[in-house]
Amino acid sequence: MTQEESADIVVVGTGVVGCLIAEQLLDAGHSVLMLEAGPRVERWQIVEKYRNLPPITTTNLDAAYPPTRWAPFLDSTSPLTAVDYLQLEGPNARAYRQDYVRYAGGSTWHWAGICWRLTPEDMRLKSLYGVGRDWAFDYATLEPYYTRVEQALGVCGPSEPELQWPPIRSKPYPMGRLPFGPGEQKFTDAAARLGLKNLPAAQARNSGVSYDGRPPCCGNNSCIPICPIGAKYDAASSLPRIEAKGGKILVNAVVYRVETGAANQVQAVHYFDPDKQSHRVTGKLFVIACNGIETPKLLLMSADTRNPRGVANSSDQVGRNMMDQPKLVAELTLAEPAWTGVGPVQGSSIMQTSQGDFRSEHAGALFRFNNMARSRLGAIQALKTGLVGKALDAEIRRLSACTAELTIEHELLPDPNNRLTLSDKKDALGIPKPNIYYDVGAYIRKSAEIYSTPLVKQLAHEMGATDVKVTTEFTNSDHIMGGLIMGTDPADSVVDVDCRAHDHPNLFLPGGGAMTTAGCGNSTLTMAALALKAADAMVAQLTHA
Amino acid sequence: MALSRLLIPHSLDPEIGRRIAVDLKADRAPVSDHIDALLKLAHDRHATVVEDFFPFASDEAKAAALRIISAWYLGVVDDAPGAKIVAYELALMFKPTSDVMTIPTYSISRPNGWGAAAAPLSAMPTF
Repeated sequence: MTQEESADIVVVGTGVVGCLIAEQLLDAGHSVLMLEAGPRVERWQIVEKYRNLPPITTTNLDAAYPPTRWAPFLDSTSPLTAVDYLQLEGPNARAYRQDYVRYAGGSTWHWAGICWRLTPEDMRLKSLYGVGRDWAFDYATLEPYYTRVEQALGVCGPSEPELQWPPIRSKPYPMGRLPFGPGEQKFTDAAARLGLKNLPAAQARNSGVSYDGRPPCCGNNSCIPICPIGAKYDAASSLPRIEAKGGKILVNAVVYRVETGAANQVQAVHYFDPDKQSHRVTGKLFVIACNGIETPKLLLMSADTRNPRGVANSSDQVGRNMMDQPKLVAELTLAEPAWTGVGPVQGSSIMQTSQGDFRSEHAGALFRFNNMARSRLGAIQALKTGLVGKALDAEIRRLSACTAELTIEHELLPDPNNRLTLSDKKDALGIPKPNIYYDVGAYIRKSAEIYSTPLVKQLAHEMGATDVKVTTEFTNSDHIMGGLIMGTDPADSVVDVDCRAHDHPNLFLPGGGAMTTAGCGNSTLTMAALALKAADAMVAQLTHA
Repeated sequence: MALSRLLIPHSLDPEIGRRIAVDLKADRAPVSDHIDALLKLAHDRHATVVEDFFPFASDEAKAAALRIISAWYLGVVDDAPGAKIVAYELALMFKPTSDVMTIPTYSISRPNGWGAAAAPLSAMPTF
């Protein structure tokens, strides 16, 4: 045991959730210590790594972020490495291969930057449609936090209410919308002919102007896996500011135990350094924000005599209700060029298809045009044909311009059987790997069969597709939710309305894990809104202490 | 480089050519056996562009030629996870679309400077 560290607030995890909380608590005059399992790197290092990847690897989102020995995560480099860390089982095991990185700054390094809000209906599934759960509070309660997050991250979006999702807002977006490239416009026009509206996405990408010391987006089209200029918000950009405000950040510090004491208060966390030396960190309040997989894992690992099922787990709900938006993909061949890849990698979605009375019967879905440039894919395919000279160039141009991808993301219901437990397999530090059982369920399978797949085919044909192939195996959307589910009843939920553990008055578990329902949109804005709500509660708790 | 210039009708960077040659020599299926044959075939047919001689090469020589062409386009001799690349921004795979699409991480636009106009397929850039 070496020298102990201590702070008013100890934050485990340096992603968007941890960073928003750290900054707010520092602004309120409290000391903050952040612990990050992975390394800290500079933007240019990731850009350089990405540019040096062979083309076949560049579709692996995490290839520019090799895991360290002590902070492993899913590594898509090969089929073998892809199954090494996350232990997945169940009918849809493949669909929970979640891409996240354990680096300082977390997975916002390689997020798309999309910032959809939930709708009021998304938060009342049980009472409106008789499925899933209801949130413990309504949209009106969450709305001010959404607005604050949009200001904090720098979210751009349309000023016209008819293009906003949902058009229930107390303040405008801090920046106007980004333009569409040819592909997203073509998709928008096709949707309109079917009576559907493809909306410009709210996105944490600077639109036309600098914001928060970061430059405007210049359409570099590598948002996933890295914005080379920092026009897209990522939590890494707030780390220097946190340090300037007096926050301390320890990297390569793998928290492996949450220690409870009298009255079941959390009194310390313990971490291993890369050499497996153990260190103890004490504090007044503790925030575990390591994402929806690593946080439940840590709580389950921390079982003690007071908490035999794991910390914060008297309800037995820690690690249950694991959610994501199961994805299907349509590959299109088009007669006319769509020119995928002009602008950011994602910039719009059809959202209205996520709503409706059909939700009592099957899942809703969002539909979007994937705007990740296809020049490399086009070249790889064209070279396989054996063409040379002018014919080769023409085929590369045709395949890059006249192929496209549409993505469907479905709303998954919270199901306690979709469960994270501790595997008996261990990582290099001897820490159990996460084991997750996953079944997307009949609610989504029915949607895919009678709703989403037929509709994506209609959209494809309306775009002028001469060939459409829709996948049938669900895949991951990397929106990890549910494993620390929020509710008012400590018997069937893990955290209260402020993401405070029901079992431990000084332990906060904010982020995607706390989300009660998933909706169809990307989860980050809601995760971040819950972070700010938790931060308010922490400031109040320390003030009254 | 002489053979590369015959196989690829574009301006080629000699340094990248040197890297490709080094990696091809070290590769599991060396192409060196076929270089002289391809050069002779091109000479015999008075070829100035690849279309003049490539169709008449043996299957083995064609395969070797395609490996050289592939390296120039993809920027890597063997496109497999972990492979060391020889070029990124100068890889020819980006050139046939360079009028419209950026090389990821680079930019050909300006803040909100892109739009929905779709260039015709026929407008092949010169490179």
